[in-house]
Amino acid sequence: MSTRQAQGTTLFTALLALIGIGVVVQLWLLAASVDAFLRHENRTSVHAAIGSAIVFLINGLLVLYVFNFDRKIKAH
Amino acid sequence: MPDEKKDECLECKKKRKEDARWRQDFPVTWEGDNYVTRREMVKYLALGSLTIAGANFVVAAIPQVIKAAPMPRLRIALASSIPIGGSKLFSYPTEEDPCIMVRRSNGDLVAYSQVCTHLSCAVIHKEQENTLFCPCHQGYFTVEEGRPYAGPPTRPLPRIKLEQQGNEVFAVGVEV
Repeated sequence: MSTRQAQGTTLFTALLALIGIGVVVQLWLLAASVDAFLRHENRTSVHAAIGSAIVFLINGLLVLYVFNFDRKIKAH
Repeated sequence: MPDEKKDECLECKKKRKEDARWRQDFPVTWEGDNYVTRREMVKYLALGSLTIAGANFVVAAIPQVIKAAPMPRLRIALASSIPIGGSKLFSYPTEEDPCIMVRRSNGDLVAYSQVCTHLSCAVIHKEQENTLFCPCHQGYFTVEEGRPYAGPPTRPLPRIKLEQQGNEVFAVGVEV
């Protein structure tokens, strides 16, 4: 395994963990949002939805970055 | 005899060849079928992230799309029938929604849902302590704002909007 490939494996694992944390945060936001919805506090649900979208964007960017990195390694 | 052995071997070879052909048609082993690569895991997590974000938007959009039905205007009591510090029970907006109206010390009338925000027991008015009290778990709410100040409840009581026309008091809405 080349150094670059080893680097890629480490990066992949780290980003996998980061995205996993992001998904857990989103689940927490969803639970808070449903709780607020049942209490008729609509503003909290909207804020939770915006927060969830931001976390999704971060997750998406991380996934794009890691797949671009993967493509570069395969091209070498 | 050697010819027979040779024939057997040919048979074995043929069988092995057939096995190989079978494997070519179905190349995936159980281990291989159940194996999830890191790339697949990242993809699944990203899809999960998208799904959860979507679900969050749906939850946020429901109250914007489905507007609550307009609240009825119900005559609930004669203002003169409630003395200072006194209270009256009524139902609003439906018969299944018990409420309590209290006349404060300054003469103003306030009304709240009678359903405790802790575990839905009925709150009662304690005139001596000027407080709304939930006997199930010792929850206390202020008469002024319906705010919890002691016991397990953490959320205020929904307030009933009142309108007074002459001596008649009407309930016109609910403030959550």
